[in-house]
Amino acid sequence: MHIPDGYLSPITIVTSYSIAIPLWIYGFKKLKKELNEETLPLIGGLSALSFIIMMFNIPIPGGTSGHAIGATLIALLFNPWIGFISVSLVLLIQAIIFGDGGISSLAVNSLSMAFIGSFIGYYTFKIIKNKKIAPFIAGWSGIVASSLFIAIILGIQPFWSENGKPLYFPFGLTITIPAIVGSHLLFFGIIEGIFTNFIFKKVQNENR
Amino acid sequence: MKIDRKKLFITLFILFILLPLGLITEYSAWGEWDNEVYKKMIGFIPKGIAEAKTITPLIPDYGEGSIIIYYLSAIIGSIIIYLTLFTILKLKKSKNETD
Repeated sequence: MHIPDGYLSPITIVTSYSIAIPLWIYGFKKLKKELNEETLPLIGGLSALSFIIMMFNIPIPGGTSGHAIGATLIALLFNPWIGFISVSLVLLIQAIIFGDGGISSLAVNSLSMAFIGSFIGYYTFKIIKNKKIAPFIAGWSGIVASSLFIAIILGIQPFWSENGKPLYFPFGLTITIPAIVGSHLLFFGIIEGIFTNFIFKKVQNENR
Repeated sequence: MKIDRKKLFITLFILFILLPLGLITEYSAWGEWDNEVYKKMIGFIPKGIAEAKTITPLIPDYGEGSIIIYYLSAIIGSIIIYLTLFTILKLKKSKNETD
């Protein structure tokens, strides 16, 4: 999910930005190095793919919905730093232009969906790459790890309260982990896995 | 690793055509609720959420259900992605020339 503004305590916001900013700077340098006339259309196309796949909201039992992300796919086709920066750019555009996800929560959203999604997916793939369904497992692990991070960050927010009333996101870990991680384990992880596996195999050049 | 540019763009195009499918559900993502939902669930809206400072987006919620604006949103998003990448490439090149 894209955490909106107002859901996170100031300490969470400051901490998340102080972790994300150096990673963005380093990743940006990696992107700059990788970028040329030949890679630009591909990185752009994959980022657009991530943007568009996130618009496919899929309903699940229980009255909520979710979507694939595509970070692992970019990590597998390029490298995890490109996945991280591309999906961060997508999240920035979603936040500013479309009000999807907050500005104060952009660092947490990027660390979750872009950074963790890319790196967990990428290294899972490295370990099992000889398996036929490695891209599926990679995509599934990436998004499940992202969801776990979001669930933990949201679940610790009730710690900040006033007169016993939570100031920010009001539900603790015992609610966020089953709700968010559970739905990704069972549904959105499968969707991300199928998406990653299908596109990963589809877009590669066979006659190389 | 070689990515087939043509296949990538065909995939993008097909997904683009199918975009209205993304509007089928009215369900929001878990936790991405309107403030009123909190009032119903826990009896109050947490102060931070009620008083959240945020920007006014250009196209709130990708057009709030309009298929045409949904398509436009995907086009605008993609254009901004490419413009950003072109700008980065240009900066990189101009820097290389002055070096």
